[in-house]
Amino acid sequence: MIAWLLALSFAGSCVAWPLSRLFGRRAAGWLLSLVPAGLFVAFLGMAPTIEAGEAITQTLAWAPSLGVDLSFRLDGFSFLFALLITGIGALVVIYSGAYMSEESKRNRARFFTLILLFMTAMLGAVLSDNLLVVFLFWEATSILSFLLIGFDADSPSARRAALMSLRVTAAGGLALLAAIILIGATLGSYSLSDAVAHTGELAQSRWIVPIMIGLLLGVFTKSAQFPFHFWLPNAMQAPTPASAYLHSATMVKLGIYLLARFEPLVGAVPLGRDVVVTVAIVTMLVGAVQVLRAEHFKAVLAYSTVASLGILVMLVGLDGPAATAAMVGYILAHALYKATLFFCAGSVLHTTGLSKLRAMGRLARFLPVTAVAAAFASLSMAGLPPFVGFISKEFLFLAQIQSSWDAVPLAAAVLVNAVIVGAAGVVTLRPFFMGRGTVKEVRHGETPGLLLAPVVLALLGLLVSLEPGWVSRAVLRPAAAVVYGAPVEIDLALWHGLTPMLALSAVVIAIGAVIFIFWRPIHVRLRLRRSIDRFDTEDGYELLIRRVEALAAGTARRVQHGDLRVYVQVVLAGAAAFVLWGMIAVGRAPRPPSIAGIGGLRIGPTAVALIGLAAGVAATRARSLLSTMIAVGLVGLVTALIFMMNGAPDLALTQFAVESLIVVLLAIVLLVLPSAAPSTRTARQRTLDAALSIAFAAIMFVALLDMGMAPRHDEVSAFYGAQSYLAAFGRNVVNVILVDFRGFDTLGETTVIALAAVFAWSLLGPRTALESAATTAEATRAHGAFILRITSPIFFWLLAVLSVAILLRGHNEIGGGFVGGLVAALAFALLALASGVARARAVLRFHPLSLVGTGLLLAIASGIPGLVLHGDFLRHAWIDVTLFGIHIHQGTALIFDLGVYTVVLGGVLAFLFGLRREAAR
Amino acid sequence: MSVVYALVAASLFGCGLYMVLSRAVVRLVLGLSLVATAVNLMIFQAGRIRSEQPPIIPAGAKQLGESADPVPQALILTAIVIGFALTVMFAALALRSYRDRGTLVNEGAGPAEQLGDPFTGSVGDDR
Amino acid sequence: MIADTVADTMADGIAFWPVAIPLGAAAITTLLRRRPALQRGAMEAAVLLMLASSVWLLAHVAHAGIAGMAFGGWGAPFGVTFVADRLGAALTTVTSLVALAVAIYARAEIRARRRRAGFDPIFLAMLAAVNGAFLTGDIFNLYVWFELMLVVAMGLVTIDRRPAQIDGAIRYAAMSMLGATFILIGIGLLYGETGTLDMASISAALVGREPSMTLSAAAYLLFAGFALKAGLFPFFFWLPASYHTAPITASAALAGLLTKVGFYACLRVFVVVFHAVGEPAVPGLPALFTMVAVATMVLCVLAAIAQIDVRRLLAFHIICQVAYMMLGLALLSLLGITAAIFYMLHSMLVQAGLFLGAGAMGRATGGYDLRRAGGLMRERPLLAALFATLALSLSGVPPLSGFWAKFLVIDAAFRGGATWLGVTALVVGLLTLYSMSEIWTDAFWRSPPRPGKLTRAVPPAMVTAMALLAACTMGMGLAIGPVSGFARAAAVQMLTPTTTGQDASSPTAAPMLIPMKVDRWAP
Repeated sequence: MIAWLLALSFAGSCVAWPLSRLFGRRAAGWLLSLVPAGLFVAFLGMAPTIEAGEAITQTLAWAPSLGVDLSFRLDGFSFLFALLITGIGALVVIYSGAYMSEESKRNRARFFTLILLFMTAMLGAVLSDNLLVVFLFWEATSILSFLLIGFDADSPSARRAALMSLRVTAAGGLALLAAIILIGATLGSYSLSDAVAHTGELAQSRWIVPIMIGLLLGVFTKSAQFPFHFWLPNAMQAPTPASAYLHSATMVKLGIYLLARFEPLVGAVPLGRDVVVTVAIVTMLVGAVQVLRAEHFKAVLAYSTVASLGILVMLVGLDGPAATAAMVGYILAHALYKATLFFCAGSVLHTTGLSKLRAMGRLARFLPVTAVAAAFASLSMAGLPPFVGFISKEFLFLAQIQSSWDAVPLAAAVLVNAVIVGAAGVVTLRPFFMGRGTVKEVRHGETPGLLLAPVVLALLGLLVSLEPGWVSRAVLRPAAAVVYGAPVEIDLALWHGLTPMLALSAVVIAIGAVIFIFWRPIHVRLRLRRSIDRFDTEDGYELLIRRVEALAAGTARRVQHGDLRVYVQVVLAGAAAFVLWGMIAVGRAPRPPSIAGIGGLRIGPTAVALIGLAAGVAATRARSLLSTMIAVGLVGLVTALIFMMNGAPDLALTQFAVESLIVVLLAIVLLVLPSAAPSTRTARQRTLDAALSIAFAAIMFVALLDMGMAPRHDEVSAFYGAQSYLAAFGRNVVNVILVDFRGFDTLGETTVIALAAVFAWSLLGPRTALESAATTAEATRAHGAFILRITSPIFFWLLAVLSVAILLRGHNEIGGGFVGGLVAALAFALLALASGVARARAVLRFHPLSLVGTGLLLAIASGIPGLVLHGDFLRHAWIDVTLFGIHIHQGTALIFDLGVYTVVLGGVLAFLFGLRREAAR
Repeated sequence: MSVVYALVAASLFGCGLYMVLSRAVVRLVLGLSLVATAVNLMIFQAGRIRSEQPPIIPAGAKQLGESADPVPQALILTAIVIGFALTVMFAALALRSYRDRGTLVNEGAGPAEQLGDPFTGSVGDDR
Repeated sequence: MIADTVADTMADGIAFWPVAIPLGAAAITTLLRRRPALQRGAMEAAVLLMLASSVWLLAHVAHAGIAGMAFGGWGAPFGVTFVADRLGAALTTVTSLVALAVAIYARAEIRARRRRAGFDPIFLAMLAAVNGAFLTGDIFNLYVWFELMLVVAMGLVTIDRRPAQIDGAIRYAAMSMLGATFILIGIGLLYGETGTLDMASISAALVGREPSMTLSAAAYLLFAGFALKAGLFPFFFWLPASYHTAPITASAALAGLLTKVGFYACLRVFVVVFHAVGEPAVPGLPALFTMVAVATMVLCVLAAIAQIDVRRLLAFHIICQVAYMMLGLALLSLLGITAAIFYMLHSMLVQAGLFLGAGAMGRATGGYDLRRAGGLMRERPLLAALFATLALSLSGVPPLSGFWAKFLVIDAAFRGGATWLGVTALVVGLLTLYSMSEIWTDAFWRSPPRPGKLTRAVPPAMVTAMALLAACTMGMGLAIGPVSGFARAAAVQMLTPTTTGQDASSPTAAPMLIPMKVDRWAP
């Protein structure tokens, strides 16, 4: 049932947009008000159950695994809120219809949607029993109020206020989330009623302190308690109907709602009540002082709201049933009169365009009904009989007298109420009935839309106190009972006889009257007293924001400074530090070297290795880029020798081919660049870099030594040795690994080459026909010496044939697709150097990328037979044919290797042609 | 012997890093290829330096006898070719960048980080 | 008969199609380079097929527990295998979703010129590489995919050959190549210690082995390499230096996918191979993980707040989000791993979506400068709503997936007793919201600074792509029950100790080993 009401409310807010676009400026508000009104009636229908002290619950599963379910619970307390939210909501919608009548259709539609969505979120928050779902709606109210406060997004102040309220409430929201998560971790359930039921367990848990901190932060930010109260007055930037809704019945009351729910926990925790009451009293006093200093109609209302919220929080903090009763009564009374006054302020603003109280006077001439409504509301606010405000104030004092507290809260309450009385007078008598009317005429008179809401609420304020029976039976008693945990007697009679409360009321009225009479002088004095601004924590907020921005800017400067060299330094230092940390954490020395592990020292290889080392060092010292390149190339050749000497001829061959190609390609680049490269580092930087490099190298040295001494596990390589010929029909185990055992790696690597070629063409190739035409001219120029030009064809064909031979015999002898492709590329490189790129391309016939694409497809295709026949991709299929007595045993492995060959050839050529083209530009 | 190779591999690695730390892009490229070579030497030792016999099954034999570990060789072959591709790619980038900027020395924020830098405040448009 | 063969072949290759399809398409689009229209058609067809195949794989793995492919018929530990467990399958599916969105967006941004420059093969190869990394069971194969990612990322960044792009690519390459080097050395050391490259076999070999220098060096070099790819502190500089120079289509793909692969590798290698949860094969991991995660998250959220270029701002948020996943891993608990997995799935979608949103914003306002943007909400309400959805998801507002991602991480932190990590995550979340609310207020809410400047039209393709991803994050958030349940199952599967020779198809245990078919043995 409840869930469906929520869904209905949501649906209503969704249709708000089209409907309000559809219907004219007048009708939309009345029509849409049917949504909240209908909900209001629906909730009224549940009154008997509530009156019987029962709760209506409904649970829909959402994420049981996380303990999150859509469980809704309508008990006395949420009933009170549901009525306020929907009832006042209906009036707000009607009022907005009239208030927004001049706005553009789009804006009106937006506003209705937001207001109704906001109502839905509020309903969800007070109806949900799962704390995470409560949090969901809680955040929704924060974001929707953000959009409502900043509704006039063109005004910077509105945006600022919106961001302020969002940041404050969102921060509180996250604190609340932490509390909720901890509650869930403690109780193993996120159910609100469980949490209340297991108060004792919670109070004993080790998390109780963070839980309380998070909870209170969430509540205090939401209901604008000191020092977070500053967002509320700023929120007055919202259109008045929104303010009326946010600050009377909904947004700020949500904090009170949650705090009241956890009232038992607050009581159970040591110092809990003290903290709450203290904060509340400070809030009350700050609010009261600011009321006296406020100039604008809405500002007075806003600060009086802050004070009232303080009173409510204090009432939650006080112990005893009377406090609860007073809290419930005060919520009702405050909602009624505060909403009315906001409506009246809105009407004044709307009809006269005035917002400052001083400018207003004798408005009753133009707005008689509004004036009466305002008067009623103010009397209720002032706590005069026979209005409900009077009764709620009696309860307030009763609560304080009965509570176990000394006189401080009482005194504060008396003072603050007196100020509120004064404010009540100021916001009604002065603008509507007294003063010299500066206003000569109004833009328009009172419209029914503007009147209905304030009148209804003002009358309710009277009705409830004159005919309290139903309200106290069906609404207040159940609500109080739920919060207090036991039935609470509430007697809403106007006359309780001559009680101390009556006396206190009298005192309050008296002081209030004095404040009202001397309002101007007090007001002026307090405004002049700048020292009070110190209590205005808004500056603190501004300061914090500035600090964060400054910190952010500083971080950005330091972290992302843009100096590549320093980035690389940090990366290397970081990695070295990681490894060092890991090795230290091992907590034992490296494995001791053994002769068996080291193996005998061979003179030749050692000499070769040391030459390589010398070349490496030379590369770091070399001044010109050319000599650096030669030194690096020398290292490559030496490495190839080392491979050769240690049973890796394939590697040696590949390394040789790669080194020569690198020389060819880099030479093209270096010919363009200035060859002299002066050192780019200061001596200090070079020492630093050297230290870093040496440190990293040392770490790697230790790791290598330790690895050399580790016991060998060669099952895998033994398997390759055993199966290479028998199962994979190849004698060159390395090549068999590449094309068969680990062929898939080779496929991936081939893809790398292919994409490198695509990259090369995208970076260096022509983008338009024009470009290509422009560059062929230079590219055709032959660079090679005459003799080279003569001999190059011979070498070309030699190398070409050799490459094919390497490819074909690779499976059994040294060689394979990679080396073959590299050698073939070398052939074309030679040709291009000698007779120009155009000649080379003419000989090649195909576009390099066509080769690449074809080769890649070949390599992939060669794997498909295996997939079809055996369900294993790249499982090679073999055939035996005997032609002219020659027995050929070949398989898809050759196709695979051919693909690799083609891709490598195409890839290298893409770079060769591209670089030559770019160099020729 | 393995100590010598370990020493050489590690030292070449260090030399490469030292060049990578240079501001001159071409030195950076050559440094990276030097590092790649050094890494190949390191991987080579993962199979231990144990035999001068290449892992090729001699004619007649059906299984591989005592020989160097073929697995690291396969890995290094892959690594060599990939390293080659990356080096050349980087060289191509260096050439382009020289064409754009007329220099190969990285001083401070280059064009990439001047784009959208919050402090100098030049932000690219949607071209 | 033929139909049966086809069906069998498809079923056999179930774990391979998500890689095979884009790989083949990459080759084909390379050949089609002079036919932009055909290229686009092939690319989009490939993406759709990939999506279908990965969904199929996910559905299969969801009940079978695992699917595999032994390339060449050589099972582990001798051959290269694909091991599609729950995590891999889920990531592949999300990758395909992101790819679909990007492909849709590309219709509006990638014109013939960029296609001739090879956008399609590069993009497809990137998808192949990402899926390959998610599915492979062999650590050297993982390295190969990382190299492919490096190459294609350079290609995507430089697609227009603008000076800024070239410079960005140089910065990217200089650091990423070092990262790849670290990974390669790590793998070499690991082979020297264990004699195998199959992750499951290494994992089995490391059970109960006492720590050694070699192992530690290998582990921490791998961590450095993966952290660099994932953009974690102190290795993230390349990311904000390069991503914002690429076209939005490219940066969205990079942002959504690449960093996550880096983190995935961390997760896979350290949880499965090094048994980080339980008794780690190498000491000292938790402290370092925590330090890295916290430093990254704090530094990058602050750096993000200072930015004025939306793309750079988002680039920093990418890193910050990865740090949340790292935090989940650093907790080294089932809850933490679950949170990290869920966070990965969520973040891939939202990061890509936000970049696409930034692109649409740039298209509408003619630039990425937040100080000059504005007025979008009045003129492009749908765009504003979509961007808001994604931004709120990133900042962790319920019920979007981002909230649950943060919730799971923080919950895991608190339950693991790491209160301060949880608090840090909360504060960083607040700062994220701060930054996001500022973007949205500036770019969408307020009236344009220069009055009268009307925004340009946004192609429907851009909005559609955003809508797809926004719907995904919304859906993930609403279907939190099943999704988080799946993430948990995936985490459990990763944490179940690997035992060789198990029946690969048993859904109960988690055999990460694809055994060899008996008939492969020679007599």
